[in-house]
Formats: sequence, structure tokens, C-alpha cells
Amino acid sequence: MVSLAIACFVLAFLALGMRRPFIWVLAYCYVDIVGPQKIAVSLLDPLQVSLVAFIAAFGGWLIADNKTDSRFTLRQGLILALLIYCGLTTTMADFPVEAASKFEWVWKALVFAIFLPLTLRTRLRIEAVALVMVLSAASIIISGGMKTALGGGGYGTLRLLVNDNTGLYESSIISCVAVAIIPVILWLAKHGTVFPSDWRVKIFAAALTFACLLIPVGTEARTGLLCIAVLAVLSLRSVKRRFLYIASATALALVAIPFLPDSYTKRMNTIENHAGDQSASTRVAVWQWTLEYVQDHPFGGGFDAFRGNKLRIETRTAEGTGNNQAVEVTEIQDQARAYHSSYFEMLGEQGYLGLLLWLFLMFSGLWQMERLRRRWKARTGPDEQWQAPLANALQQALAIYMVGALFVGIAYQPFVYMLIGLQCGLWSYLRRVDSPHQPKFQRKPGVVVKHAVAAR
Amino acid sequence: MIDNLAIAVSHALLALAVWRLARSDALDADPGSDLAQRNKRKRIGEEHGRG
Repeated sequence: MVSLAIACFVLAFLALGMRRPFIWVLAYCYVDIVGPQKIAVSLLDPLQVSLVAFIAAFGGWLIADNKTDSRFTLRQGLILALLIYCGLTTTMADFPVEAASKFEWVWKALVFAIFLPLTLRTRLRIEAVALVMVLSAASIIISGGMKTALGGGGYGTLRLLVNDNTGLYESSIISCVAVAIIPVILWLAKHGTVFPSDWRVKIFAAALTFACLLIPVGTEARTGLLCIAVLAVLSLRSVKRRFLYIASATALALVAIPFLPDSYTKRMNTIENHAGDQSASTRVAVWQWTLEYVQDHPFGGGFDAFRGNKLRIETRTAEGTGNNQAVEVTEIQDQARAYHSSYFEMLGEQGYLGLLLWLFLMFSGLWQMERLRRRWKARTGPDEQWQAPLANALQQALAIYMVGALFVGIAYQPFVYMLIGLQCGLWSYLRRVDSPHQPKFQRKPGVVVKHAVAAR
Repeated sequence: MIDNLAIAVSHALLALAVWRLARSDALDADPGSDLAQRNKRKRIGEEHGRG
């Protein structure tokens, strides 16, 4: 029954694209995030909905859309450079079969991130992409949040819609993404036009935000706790009453702690005492291995180069206190251990150049959103109130991702490249619509008249 | 049960959003942007008129 409903929804979504081709772009965002073919396997898997939506989105733009306002920005160029570079390293990869397999989905995420900003030429399109991204992720987050609230969470045990550990269905990834989209949810609740701000929208936004905060609790992903801390700090910039915010956040945290499951608090304690935790100790060993690996392979080893690692890890667990303390040292052998960090993932797979390209892409995003925020925040016009908060929300989302990415290998996560595409679209759109207000354009008439007078 | 509820809520909202978007002309043509373009053209026209 659910499979049939999902299949009908997807087909109706695609059919609406006949009316407005941009709907196909939204359909691809939805398909890429939710993966409806994973839910309605028997009905949608044979149809290859992801490929159909991608072709429809690109074909619809190519044939039917107005392209006069489309701009190719610097960051799209960076993604293109990264795509070409990844293609090159794939041909020289240490593990060619595995590398080719990963490149199969990475190139789609990168190409879509280059393509998406070209289609974002109206304010409503920018909002539509943000809304579809949030609601698509919400289908996973609502499920996870409700299960956590009813006591069904646990490390590696929280089932999110499907039995799948890829994309947003992976616990650490959804923890990072759920917290990263909170600023976007709040922006949509306040400035959205598809669902204009009223009490229903505010209640849903509050409930969804709460579900997002429950995801790191339910999955017991340590990354999620770190992301929440980053969000709390970043929010200090945009809240009006800072002391009230700090007091409320502290009070909320103190009230929430007794309700947290024991398993959660035990796992979070391993952040501080990482030497006794095998998972955390292995990460440090992999990162050391990566640093040594790039000394010999400065251009990286291609996708999945981590498969070549062999690690010897010592974990130390202390029992007792003072003079009675006994330290138990356990030695573990491990191999083909994943990077567990996007920064080391880029370094190991794409070398120094790939890491530099990726870092430039990320930091330029923070910088561009900061510029937009500063340029638009003082404006008072009725149509000039949404720009600075959106730039702020997208900046916060990227910053949260960048911190979360320190401990999760999500350097090529399609959701994040969609977010980057949205940033590029906003940057390009606001530069275009803002150009008539720039002083050089205001001065122009005087200059023209002066020349005209001089010519006479 | 919870999964079905989550799917129903999120997909109902998605369906409503996409339906509203498909009916909105602002999806393909930004009113503000068009206005800015028209004003720009008008201004350039006036300048040429004066010239």
C-alpha cells in the first residue's frame, strides 16, 4: 500500500513537470534525498526514477526554460574542476573497480550541483529547492525523531524508513544533515511564501526542529552532538536577545539531560575519553596512516584508497582511581578502515590538490554567504527582508556540515552539494537583481548625459 | 506505523507544495526582477530620449 502511494506520488510529481519543467529539478532533489525506489522497490526500481528525473530536469531546462538570467559562477567552476580531477584520479586509482563504483554516484552529485544554480533564476525557485530539500529530509527525520521520542533509538539500531545504510539513511550522516538544516527550517517558517508564516507553519517548524535535535540522540552519533553545539554557538550571531537565549539554552540542556538514555550519555563520554574507545582510536590511526600515505601519493590514491590500510591500534581503559588505578591495554589489528573524516577522505583519495579544491569550495561558500548577509541585512524594503536571513541560514548549514565532516566521511554527500548549488544560485541571483542598485549603475545616467552634452 | 505516518505527513506537505508551485507564475518569472528590468529599460530609453 505504501509502495503504491509512493509510486503514485513520484509519477504525479514527474507529471506536474509537464506544466512547469522546473518541477523536474525539484523531483530530482526529492528522488536523490529520499530514494523512493528504496521504499517502493518492486514498483520504482525497474523504472530508474533517479535517471528519469535527472534527464527530465536537464532536458526540461535545455528545451523549455529561459536561460538569459543563468550565470556560471566561480564555485560552479570549482565543482567542475573537482569533477574533472576526480575523473582523472579514478583512472589511476589504487582500487580501480571500487573507485569506478564510487565515481558512478559522485559525478552525478557534482554535475547536479553545477547544473542547479543555472535553473535558480527566481526567488520562488530558490525557496522551492530549500523547501523540497527540507521536506524530503523530513520524511526520514520525522520517522527517526518519533521513534527516538518513544524510546526506540540506539547506536546502530535506529531504523530509518528502510533497511539501508547509504545516503541520508546512515546514522552519522543524517545526524549531521538534520542539525544543518535547522537554520533553513527556521528561515522557511519565517520567510516562506509557499507556506506563508502562520501558527500551523510555526508549530510544524518547531516540531520538525525538535525531531532534528532528537536524531543525534536516537542514532547516538557523537558527530550530531558536536553539530548541535556548533549550531548553538552560531545562533548567537543572529538572535536578538543573547542573554535570554544563552539562559534558555542552558536551562533546556539541563532539563533534557535526565531524559537522555544511559547508552547515549555513556557514548558521548567517549568523546572526552577517546583512548578507551575502539571506534575513536581507529579514526586517529586511519588519519595518521592517511598523512603518511599522501607523502608517497601526493595526488591521492583515488576513491576508496583507504582499502589499502593495515592498522595496529592500542586502546587504553582505566579502572579505579589514584594508586589503585589499573590501565588495561588492548591491541587490535584492523584493515581497510574508512577515513571517518571528509578532510582525510579528500586528502587520501584526491591528494593535496583535491583537498585544496574542496576546501576552497567550502570556505568560498562561507565567505560568499557572509558578503550577502552584510550587503542585505540593513535593507528595509518589503522585498528585501528574506535575503540576509537566507544567506545566514545557508552559511550556518555549511558551517555545521564542515564541523560534522571532521568526523564523518561525507565529502561527496549529494545533499551537501545540493546545498552548495543553492548557495551558488542565491549568490548569482542576488548579484543579478542587485546590480541596478549599485552605485556605478546609479552614476551611469549622469555620465551618459555628460558625454551626450559634450558630444553636442 | 510510525514510518507510514512520517511518510504520509512529509509527502502530503510535499504534494501541496509542488501543487502550489506548479500553479504559481512566480516560479518562472520573478515579478521583482521583471519590474527591475522594465525600469532599467525605461531608464535607458529616457536617457536616449534626452540624448
